[in-house]
Amino acid sequence: MSSKSLTLNNISKRFGNVTALDNFNLEVGVGELVALLGPSGCGKTTALRVVAGLEHQDKGTVLVAEKNISDVPAHKRNMGMVFQAYSLFPNLTVEENVAFGLQMRKVNKSVRLKKAHQLLDLVGLDSQSKRFTHQLSGGQQQRVALARALAFEPEILLLDEPLSALDAQVRVNLREEIRRLQLSLGTTTLFVTHDQEEAMAISDRVGVMNQGVLEQIDTPDALYNKPTSSFVAGFVGTMNRIPAQISDGMVEIFGSKVVALKRGNESGQVVALIRPESISVIANSSQPNAKVLTRSFMGASSNIICQTGDGTIVQSLMTSASTGELHPGSSVQLRVLSSEVLVANV
Amino acid sequence: MIKSKFQLPLVFTLLILGFFVFVPMISAFEYSIRTPAKGGYGWDSYLWAIREEEFLYYIIRSTWLAGVTVLITLFVLVPTLTWIHLSNSKVRGLIDGLSLLPLVIPVVAFAVGAQISFPEFVKNTVLELPFLYFVLALPYAYRALDIGLSAIPLKTITEAARSAGANWLRTITSVIIPVIRGSVMATIALTFALSLGEFTLTVLLHWDTFPTWVTYVAQENILGAIAISMMSLILPFLLLTLITLFVPERSTQGRK
Repeated sequence: MSSKSLTLNNISKRFGNVTALDNFNLEVGVGELVALLGPSGCGKTTALRVVAGLEHQDKGTVLVAEKNISDVPAHKRNMGMVFQAYSLFPNLTVEENVAFGLQMRKVNKSVRLKKAHQLLDLVGLDSQSKRFTHQLSGGQQQRVALARALAFEPEILLLDEPLSALDAQVRVNLREEIRRLQLSLGTTTLFVTHDQEEAMAISDRVGVMNQGVLEQIDTPDALYNKPTSSFVAGFVGTMNRIPAQISDGMVEIFGSKVVALKRGNESGQVVALIRPESISVIANSSQPNAKVLTRSFMGASSNIICQTGDGTIVQSLMTSASTGELHPGSSVQLRVLSSEVLVANV
Repeated sequence: MIKSKFQLPLVFTLLILGFFVFVPMISAFEYSIRTPAKGGYGWDSYLWAIREEEFLYYIIRSTWLAGVTVLITLFVLVPTLTWIHLSNSKVRGLIDGLSLLPLVIPVVAFAVGAQISFPEFVKNTVLELPFLYFVLALPYAYRALDIGLSAIPLKTITEAARSAGANWLRTITSVIIPVIRGSVMATIALTFALSLGEFTLTVLLHWDTFPTWVTYVAQENILGAIAISMMSLILPFLLLTLITLFVPERSTQGRK
């Protein structure tokens, strides 16, 4: 296995007046798949391009297996890269595309074609090897791009939003395929995406970026359940932001007191951050504190949107079986199910 | 109805081409096979042209000068235009404008200026011609390549090639040129044809090439000059056919 670890130390990069990366640090272990997630313009693609050598950082170092490659040109970095779309060479057949990296490494023709067929077989496209890329669907083209990036056994695999141009169903299938291949080949992978579901579904760890810095990097579970900043809490999954009063480490929400997990202000007005699945909506209560606005049926679960007396909109996710009596307009009682909630300053 | 609407412009084009290109060519051919001494038709002029030693000398000279011009054009323009497209630089507008200059500068002024200003070692070598032809062909060559590069996702495929291990030279030769093959062919054809037929600049700089020699011949033997010109048509035609055959058409067929 040729896979190596990747370290980015204090990388900064500016484009004119815009700071794309600001003292950015990241470590990716051998064989690990790390996703960089964030809104557009957060610097995630710049980070990936700095690793690839397609962009040069203003300061900081890039290390692969502890070796400083900061000044190594892109074509000598041995990194496989998959782009958003349209990156295949239109003048080459599918197998020639996949063998391209090996051709550049002066591997002889029979060996490189054999390797290309192995990779095409892995992505399920060996039967298409003689076709030209414009004869393939978008999903197939990205599979070829993936095979091309892996054919020369790169030390690091870089994925730059490889699924964003594809249809929903193809997207889900291909992301599973990327994960399966990545696990079986053990290739260290850095995956840039703005789609949190995608990032959460296939990554070992997800780094959430905002304005050129890494806000938090953690397992998908921890990121969802224990966000360390209000940005991460708001960006990953849906989060209710409910105004509340804090005193002595407790916040009062919907009439009951809950432990505040991360304190902002010690006392006074704060915002409690609560996931929709942590809020229960009770019909026919003797102490109603909200009104149902809408109920959207989504199969096993239903999404209930309510409005409290002070006008706050609250979203709740409940199993559909328990929402039969929640009709728009009906008075209901909201209750927080968790015993601890995250708190942020207003 | 629609069909007839589209035919009308085509008919016009063919009429104009026919009247201004084919009619003179056919007439010239007809004239060149006349045999005034004997009356009637024959290949006398052509036989005379072939026996003329200078015919081959000048046609080879003009061909290699045109070949060198093509090489200079590709060598300079492909990397430059690739860089301009990739860098999104503000100089693009400036270079676009500069590339048009040869169209507006009168060739006479250009030639006289060159004659006055160039150092002896440049004026003493016929290799000054390919560089000057390159300048004359620049507006056409530049645009042909520019269109090709604008039509492809240049940035992505360049980066894909580089991250797959291709250095800049390999990226240009193995990826960019094959992908914009149509534009490259057009550039070769335009530059080659322009260099092969260039007359004014060549004469003013006191060089002899095929076109200047034909003009010289025409003063003494007009039938011979036409025969020579007719035969000279075959050479670029053959060369361009060969180039097309050697660079096989691939993915462009059926592209969506």
